[in-house]
Amino acid sequence: MTKSFLEIKNVTFAASNKNKVNNVSLNIENEGDIICLLGPSGIGKTTILRTIAGLEKIQSGTIVLKSKTLSSSDVHIEPENRSISLSFQDNCLFPHYNVLKNIEFGAAQNKKNKKDLNINEVIKFLHLEHVIDKFPHQISSGEAQRASLARSLLSKPDLLLLDEPLSNVDQSFKEEIQVKLKQILTDLKITTIIVTHDSYEAFYLGSKCGIILNGQLRQYDDPYNVYHFPNSVEVVNFLNRGILIPAKVTGENSLENKDLGTIKGNFIKHYPKGSDVQLLLQPEDLEHDDKSNLKLEVVDRKFRGTNFIYTLKTLNNLLIPVFVHSHHIHQHEIDEKFGIKRPIYIDHIVCF
Amino acid sequence: MGIKKFNIWYISSFLISLVIATPIITVFFSFFETTSNYSSIIKDTFLYEYIFNSIFLLSGVLFLTFVVGTGCAYLVSFFQFPGVNFFKWALILSFAVPAYIYAYSLTAFFENYGTAFSILKNIFGEGDYNSFIPKFDGMLGAIISISFSLFAYVYVLTRVSFHYQSQNLIELGKNLGFTKQRSFFKIILPSARPAIVAGLSLVAMETLSDFGAVSFFGLSTLTTGIYNAWISFDDLALANRLSFFLLLFILGLFILENFSRKKAQYHSPTKGGFKSKKLITLTGYKSFLAFSFCFSVFFISFLFPVLQMLYWVIIFPKHFIDLNSMQLFLNTIILVFFSSVILISLAFISNYGNRVTKSKLLEAFTTFSISGYAIPGIILAVAFITFISWFDNNIINFFGANTIKSIFIGSILGLVLVYFIRFYSLACNGIKSGYLKINYSIDESSYLLGYSKFKTFTNIHLPYLKNSILLIGVLIAIEIIKELPIILIMRPFNFETFATTAYVFASQDLLEAAATPSLFLVLIASIFILITSRYIINE
Repeated sequence: MTKSFLEIKNVTFAASNKNKVNNVSLNIENEGDIICLLGPSGIGKTTILRTIAGLEKIQSGTIVLKSKTLSSSDVHIEPENRSISLSFQDNCLFPHYNVLKNIEFGAAQNKKNKKDLNINEVIKFLHLEHVIDKFPHQISSGEAQRASLARSLLSKPDLLLLDEPLSNVDQSFKEEIQVKLKQILTDLKITTIIVTHDSYEAFYLGSKCGIILNGQLRQYDDPYNVYHFPNSVEVVNFLNRGILIPAKVTGENSLENKDLGTIKGNFIKHYPKGSDVQLLLQPEDLEHDDKSNLKLEVVDRKFRGTNFIYTLKTLNNLLIPVFVHSHHIHQHEIDEKFGIKRPIYIDHIVCF
Repeated sequence: MGIKKFNIWYISSFLISLVIATPIITVFFSFFETTSNYSSIIKDTFLYEYIFNSIFLLSGVLFLTFVVGTGCAYLVSFFQFPGVNFFKWALILSFAVPAYIYAYSLTAFFENYGTAFSILKNIFGEGDYNSFIPKFDGMLGAIISISFSLFAYVYVLTRVSFHYQSQNLIELGKNLGFTKQRSFFKIILPSARPAIVAGLSLVAMETLSDFGAVSFFGLSTLTTGIYNAWISFDDLALANRLSFFLLLFILGLFILENFSRKKAQYHSPTKGGFKSKKLITLTGYKSFLAFSFCFSVFFISFLFPVLQMLYWVIIFPKHFIDLNSMQLFLNTIILVFFSSVILISLAFISNYGNRVTKSKLLEAFTTFSISGYAIPGIILAVAFITFISWFDNNIINFFGANTIKSIFIGSILGLVLVYFIRFYSLACNGIKSGYLKINYSIDESSYLLGYSKFKTFTNIHLPYLKNSILLIGVLIAIEIIKELPIILIMRPFNFETFATTAYVFASQDLLEAAATPSLFLVLIASIFILITSRYIINE
């Protein structure tokens, strides 16, 4: 059996009693993998990164990187000896050096490293050319965050930890930086753990996503599965990408809801016929059809650029979200009726 | 952090704090020791006078330094008027004039047939001017001398606080419909309160431990009481007991302030939301009044004593020629150099130890140890001599080794060591305040980039703190140049500095001879202040 690149086994992460994540086990199989950790604020995501970096000690479990134990109950490798770089969420640039010198600090420490990354290239892709001569107090928080990211990237560590790396970055740069960041990390095979609260960022950057809720790692899977096959009601609620509606299982591939009628599809987990379940209904599960006789009332409409999200009210006062392409020939106003295509077919049915 | 608790940093920091804390511990334990009969004599006779005079002196000095210090800070921080940029730094020159030299000048000018008399005589001819010239001696003289030599503490700290006050605060006052006066008393002054109190605390400690000025004016305070208990009655325990009262008194002031402040939050100069102030340009009589106030303070606190000394140096050139200035200068510089190097180095080790170990116990002990700043220099010197004698008699003798008294008593080494204890809080707090500006995550970033703790110290901390180090070095230099009681007790035989020479002449009532060393002292201190004035007024 091949060893994982990073193994975290039964570790309880705790900086204080408040931010405690219990008994976490997760592996990063290959060098160059990128994983993302998602969770609400204050849950302990940053504590996990700090602990992996060696800034916090652990009482139990083990953290092993490249077959070397970094932390356990009786081992603690100092942060400077781990070859792990952490880019903090807040501005942690050295205040008495300009941006360029700050970035060079990262490059200076890893001359021996084979991974080739050009400092000018990094400065360019992070749009830092115009601030390299400025001092940290003269630049915006977004620029400081990008400079910090550049410094960490250039240190070319074995493991890169990014704490909300783009949270202060302008939306106009964000997507471009995400694309380039992923490209660099993948090309240079820099294994990375990214903490973020932006699920889209996590789904794009991560080859795997971990969801941390209520002091536990609730799900650790690839982004598609996390989104489409959430393993608990808590994960559904956290991702906030659908609602749970009551339904009764009527067959091997079908169930029934009082308002929507029969729903067909493939169950991810099978339930006995007649079971009362909570069905996860995501906005893309239902299709709009003006000709349908299943009409629901529009109570809200959100324009999201490429699409609208309509919120529809059923007879039993359930509020159901539905995506409609924004180029759709007409729009529906609030209080109007909105047709849902029947029969309803959901490719993978998730129930709880 | 992954650092073993009891590492070399922890132990070094602990030992440094222990050395510094020794006098406080000595003072505390001596409270329970038996004292001589003098104790009961003091209790029945002079004790209340000591306490009353100390309180009266303290109240007068605190009032005057508050009015002068905050008044000047307010004017130069919020208004534009002729000379404002000059006054911003010129007002701190008063740091260069120790209270005892101010006292000599004050007496020399206003005494019978003194300088004021000569001036009037030269202008108006012979006359009985002595009865019209006010006499600033005794309590009044001491209050004025100490206040004008110390008000700069309040001025500097309050000015920094005012400087960082956001325009938002002032605009808030306007939005609430406050007048300028109401804004000043309701918003500006209360938000600068911690700085004002910090300044006044320093003034209080310096006042209570002042020896030169009060002894010159023949005023009996707790400090002179301590001196008398030791010098006249050879009762160290009583001297320590009086010091204990002094410490309690100062501690009480701190507690009172903390209690009254409760959990109120005050401004901090953060980047977010900070808006620079728009200075108000004063015109007409308001401009004249502001200028006059600042100029008067500058004149009284600095020009007046300097001119008085200069006047004497000019009319009595013999004293200038007779003075071995170069030797006195060298002696002063030697003391300044060795003391500064030791103080800054050890303060760095202690602060860095506290920072990397993050031990609450160590931090509390360090804080406790530096409260020795409030102990008068006399007591430190006496406690040091007592400790060395005890150590020599009990430990060194026990092992049959040669006596160490001559190494530590009446030597430069001993003098520097006592200076180390006396001024450690200045160095330690200075480095600490510099360190407080370095967020701990900056250290962590450095570690995570692969820099060791030592490399982090040399590549990150030292370059960042270089201005603080320079500032602290200069502040230590100024304090040592001016310091009097410790050097009088601890100096080697025939080792003279400008301060001791001035004191010796003044104590022999040869004020005109004291003028030359006093002037040198003030000039050297002024040069040091000018070098760092930019930092002092902004840090």
